[in-house]
Formats: sequence, structure tokens, C-alpha cells
Amino acid sequence: MSRRRFIGGTGAGVLAAMLTACTGGGQLSQAGGGAGGSLQWWDQFRPLTKMLQNDLFAPYMKEHTGIKIERRQMDAPDLGQALQVARRSNQMPDVHSLAGLGGVSPAALVGSGWFQPIGKLADFQGSPVGQMLYDGIHRFNGEIYSFPPFSGRWHDAVPWFNTALIKEAGLDPEEEPGTWDKLRDIARRATKGTAGDVYGMVVPSKDPEYLAALVHRLAMTAGAPGPGAIDWKTGKYIFDSDEYVAAVEFLVALHTDKVVHPASPSMGPRDARARWAAGQAAIYLWGAWFIGGLLVDEPEAVKRGVGVWHIPCPEPTRNFVYNPPQPGTFWVSSQSKQAKTAAEVLLRMTGKEFQLKLAAAMDQPPALADVVAEADVHASYRRCVANFQDDVRIGPVPEVGTPGVWQVLAEMRDVHPNLGDIVQSVLTGSTSDIAGELRRFTEKMTAERERAIEVVRKKGVQVGVDAWVFGNWDPKADYGQQAYAER
Amino acid sequence: MTMTTQRRSRPTAAPPPRHRQGWARRLRQDWWIYLFLLPTLLGYGAYTVYPLLASWWFAFLDWPGFASAGTFIGIENFARLIGDDLFWNAFRNSLVFLVFAVPLRVGLALALAIVLNRRKTPFKGFFRTLFFLPVVTTGAIVGVVFTLLLDASGPVSLSMVASGLLDSPANFAANAGTSLYAGIAVWVWKWLGITLVYWLAALQTIPQGVHEAAVIDGAGSWAEFRHVTMPLLVPFLVIITLIDTVAAFNVFDLMQTLTGGGPSFSSEVIEIFIFRTAFQATVPQLGYASAAAVLFGLLTVVLAIVQALGIRWARRRIGPS
Repeated sequence: MSRRRFIGGTGAGVLAAMLTACTGGGQLSQAGGGAGGSLQWWDQFRPLTKMLQNDLFAPYMKEHTGIKIERRQMDAPDLGQALQVARRSNQMPDVHSLAGLGGVSPAALVGSGWFQPIGKLADFQGSPVGQMLYDGIHRFNGEIYSFPPFSGRWHDAVPWFNTALIKEAGLDPEEEPGTWDKLRDIARRATKGTAGDVYGMVVPSKDPEYLAALVHRLAMTAGAPGPGAIDWKTGKYIFDSDEYVAAVEFLVALHTDKVVHPASPSMGPRDARARWAAGQAAIYLWGAWFIGGLLVDEPEAVKRGVGVWHIPCPEPTRNFVYNPPQPGTFWVSSQSKQAKTAAEVLLRMTGKEFQLKLAAAMDQPPALADVVAEADVHASYRRCVANFQDDVRIGPVPEVGTPGVWQVLAEMRDVHPNLGDIVQSVLTGSTSDIAGELRRFTEKMTAERERAIEVVRKKGVQVGVDAWVFGNWDPKADYGQQAYAER
Repeated sequence: MTMTTQRRSRPTAAPPPRHRQGWARRLRQDWWIYLFLLPTLLGYGAYTVYPLLASWWFAFLDWPGFASAGTFIGIENFARLIGDDLFWNAFRNSLVFLVFAVPLRVGLALALAIVLNRRKTPFKGFFRTLFFLPVVTTGAIVGVVFTLLLDASGPVSLSMVASGLLDSPANFAANAGTSLYAGIAVWVWKWLGITLVYWLAALQTIPQGVHEAAVIDGAGSWAEFRHVTMPLLVPFLVIITLIDTVAAFNVFDLMQTLTGGGPSFSSEVIEIFIFRTAFQATVPQLGYASAAAVLFGLLTVVLAIVQALGIRWARRRIGPS
């Protein structure tokens, strides 16, 4: 063989290898692995890293030699982008969460062929979470596609506080601020009664999504129905209701009091937690995962003292915060060849043993919230979850009652400025017309939904505004499966 | 009287087409060279040509991000863009960024280059290195760091309060009135060094004799700069300005981490608009984002053409030397 022929042949071989790598041909060997092979798992739960690896994956792999579970943890935005790219290049992980995919409903993704059912691969209906499975959320066309490993009874406006700073300000940590005014008073006293540059609260205003979620929660404590800012009696949007205006005005009042960390407009939620952990703010409103994240990133702040209160309401009379039924968290890709393995691993998440481990990670509360009482968790986390039982009720979800709703939601385009954008504008001084901005947003959302309904109806889908009406909704009770049947 | 005779010449055959034979022969003999060039060609086609053509096609589709494919809708995306206030807001922000940032970067770098090019300037190497260091840092990291430096409890705000320039601390990157300009300032700071290098290289091309002649003729520093140095730098000014102009449309990483396009979309440049529409919308709008990218791409192409014409003009002015 001549030198030129040898070099040319080698080059051709390298080229073939490169092309195979670029086109994902290497997955063929993986698919042909039979009972063995690897299972790719992507999610955003950083505090769950050790627990998932040690308490879920490792035991399963030990019992099933030849199976290798590989997990990638990414921040939600990165995960969302990675999933969209992977989807189009046919390189989806076997199991993933939906973080970072915006507000796309699971129904839309199921309808677009993202997932495959798992109900016949493992007995989810007979599991401890079987009663938490809803049509339109976990089950589609009679098939179970996912399940809720976490509880739906949670919210992300929990008043976490620095115990040491509260005491330093001469306050009793056990005395809860049941009302907005009392919270303001505590924030003022924390700001003035502590040494150094300490502020009563931190409100990460750089993230419109955080602000929107916060205002939703506060508005519900003021009596607004939920979730989703819908008047369940009429199906109309209520972003311009008195409750929502009051919620935004409350945040403005905190700024007027000068009790909010002045750098808040430059912070995202994680930045705010870091500042809180550094002792720069006494109170931070965020979710149950707050303390789990602290233990991972700023454990010294937990040692110093972390406390928690119920979410305050405008008046002593308490209202509830509403959540939809907890959606499925992990889904099995339709491209996966490891669906059986995935289903078996996922089913283990529903047992009490794993739920205890899940609780111990102190992220979102586990589906079986009762186990928190006996789990190895920080006392404040246990108290937080107990508070959720008092404060949170499960509200209606239009997708459950009317299957065509997901197509309307998928057709709807974002309206900007949205609630978070408006609140950001108010808090950073760009506008002071709270009522006007909220009214215009409500009008635009209403028009956009009507447009989307019209488009979907032209495709032959039976859906209308009445899909958003739940006349039998009781604000004091969970809207359970029986309520849908009686609607 | 003499008689002349003409000799008859015999017809000759036409010469062979050597060019064609040469090319074919070269291909046959050196085929392995082209084989090794093939990966580069394929890579360029796969990662540059195909995405470019694909985005043009996607611009005519209604394609929610979770769907496998889109639906052809003609120019509907472009029509929607024309009526989208946020698109024009981003477009305007990008133009403002361009108008303020490029002259500042070019002018400031030129001033520094002139100072650093003088023989009498001490520690020239140190200062050149100092100004160039930000260039090698990652844009996203710069954004994160400056978020801290520019917030209300950061050193910039606190020092301005201490000196009396501000009555109260300010979040420069998180205020609707200042966020875009904060981004401009940081961007200029980060990339000043590379433009400085361009200018230093340009200054090196001016013959020393020209400066000496000017001094002999009695020209002062300003007169020398105005009548000697600057006219000779004009061709480079065109080139450097065009390079920086194109760069001003590639600020996504810095602006996304510094301001996220906010508050209130006050610092949302066109790249962030595209990114938000494609990946962060409730239902990602890939077709719509592609349409915005196409319009943005068209603008960049126009600038590139102007750059090419500018280079051609500069070469004619400089001449063969």
C-alpha cells in the first residue's frame, strides 16, 4: 500500500468516526444492550443530589447489575434549553423533569409525543400516591405517564428568618406576624434594631417570575381565588382585582419603609439567599427548599439559626393559598429504550422508605407529607411543612375538567408586560400606575385566551371559557377528584 | 522591376485544453488532499450554512418549541414582529447601544493608544497588559461580577454617595433609566483592550520620519495629531469602527448576566429578545424567534457589506504601499 493510500484510508476512518459522533450513531450500541445499558436522568434538584444517588440509584443498580443510572443536574433554564435541543436531535435522556420548559403543560408535551406511558410497567395506581393521580395531569387517555413524588401542599412565600437577627432586634421568634402590618413592623424593627447594614427583608426583584409568584401568593392571602388568578365563578382573569392591587401595594409599602435590602433589584432568588445567609437581611420569602439549599451552599447560616412563620394575611382572618394538584415531576421519554427500568426506579419513589429520604433532603415536601414528622429534618423544615397543611388548599385546574384546555394554553402567546414585569417596573420605579397596568394586562390576557380558543375550536376541539368555570369550588376546601365529578 | 513570391503555410492543430486536463489530473493524483479538506467543508456546512438556511426557513413557520416540527404560515411571523412593541424596543436598545458604545470604545482606545505609544510614557508594557486583561475574561463572568459592583451596596454606588454625587445608593444595572448605559460602560471596559491593540498597531504604521518632519516644521502636539497623525489614521478608523460595530451586536452573554434585559425590558437588546422568545417563553416560539434573528441577521449583513466597502475605500486611499 502506498503512503498516500494509507494516509487517505486513515483519514476516511477518522472522518467516519467523526460523522458517527456528530449524528449520534453511538447510541445504537446503547439501544442494542438488551436488559443492560445506561439510563440517563436529568433534573434540576441540586439539594437532592446525594439522596438520589445514594438512596435511589445505587440500591437499584446494586440489585440490577448491568444497569447504570447517570444523572445530570442543571439549573432550570439550562435544563430547559438542553431538553429542547436534545429533543430535536433525538438525544433525549430517558427520564427528566420539566424545569426550564416554561409553562408548557404536561398535556401539551404528551400530545406532542414527548413521553411514553409507564402505568403498565409498574403499579403506580396501586402505590401510596395512587389517589393523587389526575386525568389531564398525570393520566392521559387512560394511561399513566407520571406521578407526583412531591406534595401539592406547598407555596413559595414562606417567611424564613434569621433567628439571631430577630432576637438581636428584641423580637420573639415564636411570635408570628399573622398580618401584613405586623410583618412590616417586624421588618422595620429588624432594620433599625440590629447593628451594621442589616435590612428587614430581601426581595429579589431581578427575577420577574419570582415577583409574579410572590404576588400570586400574597393576593391569595388577601382572598383571591387560585391558582392562576381565575375567578372560578365566571372563568375570568382577576389580575386587576383588589386583592392583586393590594398585594403589589404591600410590596411597595415595604420599599417605602426602607426595610428592603437596597440591592434587591439586582438580585435573583439565589443571590438573595446568599445575602440573607451573609446576615444582610433578616427575612426572606421563598419556598420550603430554602433550608435544604442553605445546607448545601451556606450551612453556617443554618447553624446560626433559621426560623419560619406562617405566611401572613392582610387581616387576622386567615385565607388560604391555592395550588393545583401536584403535577408529575419525572417523565419517561418516548425515545427511551429503558422505560421498564425507568418505571421501576420511579415507582420506588412512592414508597414510605424513599419518601422519608426525600423529606430528609429538605427540598419540596414529599407526596406523603405525613412522613416529615418522623423524618430526620431540621425542626424549622418540619414546622414549615406543618404550616403548609394549615395554609394551602388544592384548587381547580381547567385541564382536568376539559381535555382541550391544554391546546388552548399551548396556542396562547405570552403577554408582556406580564404580572412579574409589572411588579418589577413598580418596584424599580419605572411606573406607579399599579391598577392601570394590571387592568391592561388582564384585558390583554383575556383577549389572548379568546383568540387561542377560537384557533383551537377551528381545529374541531370542543372548548370554551366555561372550561375555566368551577361553580362548585369551595375556598375553604380542597378541590378533589370528587369535586370534578360533581361539577 | 522585381517579382516577389509568398510562401504557403501548412495548417496546424489547435492546442490541447491544458487547464481542464490539469484540474482533472490534479484531482486524480491528489485526491487524498481533498479528502482531508472534506471534514472542514462538512463542518462548515453543518454548523454554519445549514443553521443559516434553516433559520431562514424556520422564520416562516409557526413552531412551538415542544413540537417536533412547525407549520408553514408565510410571512405571518414578520407581520407580527412589525406590530410587536418589545421587538422594536429591543431593536432600539441595540441601536442605542451601538451609537453610544462604539464611539466611546473607539475614541477612548485611540486616546489611550496615543498616550501609550509615546516614547516618554513610563511602564507602557504594564499598562498595555492592564488594559488588555479584561479581554480574556469570560463575558458572562464579567456580567455577574459587575452586577455586584454596580448594585446599591456595591463600591461604585457607595463611593458616589460618600463623595456627594448621589443622595442615596443606586442600582445602576437594575434601574430602567441606567441599565442599558451600565451595560455599555461594562462592555466598553471589557473590550477596550483589543481596540487599543488595533490602534497601537495602526500607530506603528506611521513612519517616524513624518513625525520628525512635523516637529522640525514647528508643529505642536495637537497640531501634529490633527494634521499629521489623524489623517493617516482615518483608514484605520473606518476599519476599527466597523469591527467594533459588528461586535456591538454580539453582547448577549454580558447583558443577559448583567441585567437580564430588564428591568422593564429597558436593557433588552435584540439577542436577548431572540433568546427569550425561543427558550424562555411559556410556549417557546421558535419560528417567531427565527424571524427576529433573520431581521437581525439582515442588519448584520448590511453592516458587513459596508465594512467591505470601507476596507476597499481604505485600500485605495492608502495605495499600494
